[in-house]
Amino acid sequence: MQVYLPIAGISVDAMLLVGIGFAVGWLSGLFGVGGGFLLTPALILIGIPAPVAVASGANQTLGASVSGLMAQWRRGNVDAKMGGVLTAGGFVGSLVGVQLFALLQRIGQVDLAVSVFYVVVLGTVGVLMVMESVRAILRRRGAVRRRLHEHFWMHGLPLKMRFRKSRLYISVIPPALCGFFIGVLSAVMGVGGGFMLVPVMIYLLGMPTAVVIGTSLFQVVFVTANVTLLQAVQVGSVDVVLTLLLLLGGVIGAQFGAKMGTKLRGEETRALLGALVLAVALSLLWGLVKKPDALFSIGPAL
Amino acid sequence: MRGVVALLLALLLAAPAWAQDQPLVAALSTQEVRISTAFTGEAIMVFGSTDQPIGPGGDEILVVARGPTRPLVVRRKIKALLFWVNGPSARFNEVPGFYAIAGTRPAWQLLPEALRQENGLGLDALPLTSTGSRSPAFRAALLELEKASGLWLEDAAPVEIRGGRLFNIAVPLPATVPTGDYKVEVLLVRSRRIAAREEMSFRVERVGTADRIADVAEDHAFFYGLVCILLAALAGWLGSVLFRRD
Repeated sequence: MQVYLPIAGISVDAMLLVGIGFAVGWLSGLFGVGGGFLLTPALILIGIPAPVAVASGANQTLGASVSGLMAQWRRGNVDAKMGGVLTAGGFVGSLVGVQLFALLQRIGQVDLAVSVFYVVVLGTVGVLMVMESVRAILRRRGAVRRRLHEHFWMHGLPLKMRFRKSRLYISVIPPALCGFFIGVLSAVMGVGGGFMLVPVMIYLLGMPTAVVIGTSLFQVVFVTANVTLLQAVQVGSVDVVLTLLLLLGGVIGAQFGAKMGTKLRGEETRALLGALVLAVALSLLWGLVKKPDALFSIGPAL
Repeated sequence: MRGVVALLLALLLAAPAWAQDQPLVAALSTQEVRISTAFTGEAIMVFGSTDQPIGPGGDEILVVARGPTRPLVVRRKIKALLFWVNGPSARFNEVPGFYAIAGTRPAWQLLPEALRQENGLGLDALPLTSTGSRSPAFRAALLELEKASGLWLEDAAPVEIRGGRLFNIAVPLPATVPTGDYKVEVLLVRSRRIAAREEMSFRVERVGTADRIADVAEDHAFFYGLVCILLAALAGWLGSVLFRRD
């Protein structure tokens, strides 16, 4: 069944979109991430223009993360104060990111920038994840207890604040900066950034694992909402029909994935996720390196 | 399609009556092409009749359809170190979003070159002026890409002749056809000159949901953004309630 996407201005098979939504939702439910980093490249692959894929990807991630946030909130696993600081940084970051995006669009380098961002970010994160989980699997028997709190330069920064739920008394500068960078990535890549935020919260900020997922979802929901709004106003590339079709498949897939995820062990799941992230990065890298089929392309003059 | 057949029949019957006062009569199957959320493209019929027999040695017909123009940028990828990136570009200011030409024979066989160029009949006669890179490769690439997308057509199928004086052609509009006002020109070519011309127009517009969404997104972008946020949040929440599997 073909459906006309009013903002993208093209006709696409509706079932294909629902199917992509389902597959990405299934994987995101399995691994407990938003899945934006899989969705945006998949949309570009089937011929959705990059600006529409990025903006609608952010919009879809928002929808996919809402129910998770609500569940975590009910269980009291959200540090709203920390989430607020991250979100404040994220708002500024996404504002900067959308300006950057609009600039890239004017000079005709959106596709390149989106690909490069993906290759660098996913490549780095993928390598780190695979290394970390392989190491964890190897030393599973002789488990070493990590120190709860390590002090380094970060803890000498001013503007300290008490985060009761995270049992932390740290400067607001590191979380605000993290929020900022993830906001930029969210705007340019159309992702929520949960897959980066979670390790940052655990290893850099030293937050207890229990509140990490809930708090990262808090930041993801608000920052993707901001990106949606900014992209709609400045670039005009949010396609609500596309978003809703993706969500239709996504929410169903996520439930199946989450059920299967409970059967897998933590380290194996993370190694698999790392491999998946790396695979996406490598395929995009290949797209940049190989000689393109068409040397010329046309686009609207802005 | 039944309407078209009926119209053709009516024309056939009325043709001798018209023949006295007008050398060329033409009409379109519709004045309006509607893009709804289920739009996958449409064909528009151009048909008419002449006062003298059409065909080799006699009159010839040319049909040209032109869509609204918009500025376009053509970019060429170059290899920078390892990666292929967008390099030099050329900006074309008035590029028709749709262009289709067809005739009983190709235009270059019917008209002197000067006349053909002057009237913009044929893809190589389009008045495309560009700024930026001067290489003719950009113009050639623009032609190739527009042809590949189905938005520019040259002699895709010949104009069909029926009963000696009736002609008709279907102009296919792909799903990506831009919205706006279109002009259709039917030219009667007699001894390598344009003996008569008939100009008609039709409109391509979005209707229904697709139109409302695009309008709101354009005119009330802030409000549209808010609606997108709320709808996505609502869909996500509703989905998790309906499909919960525990």
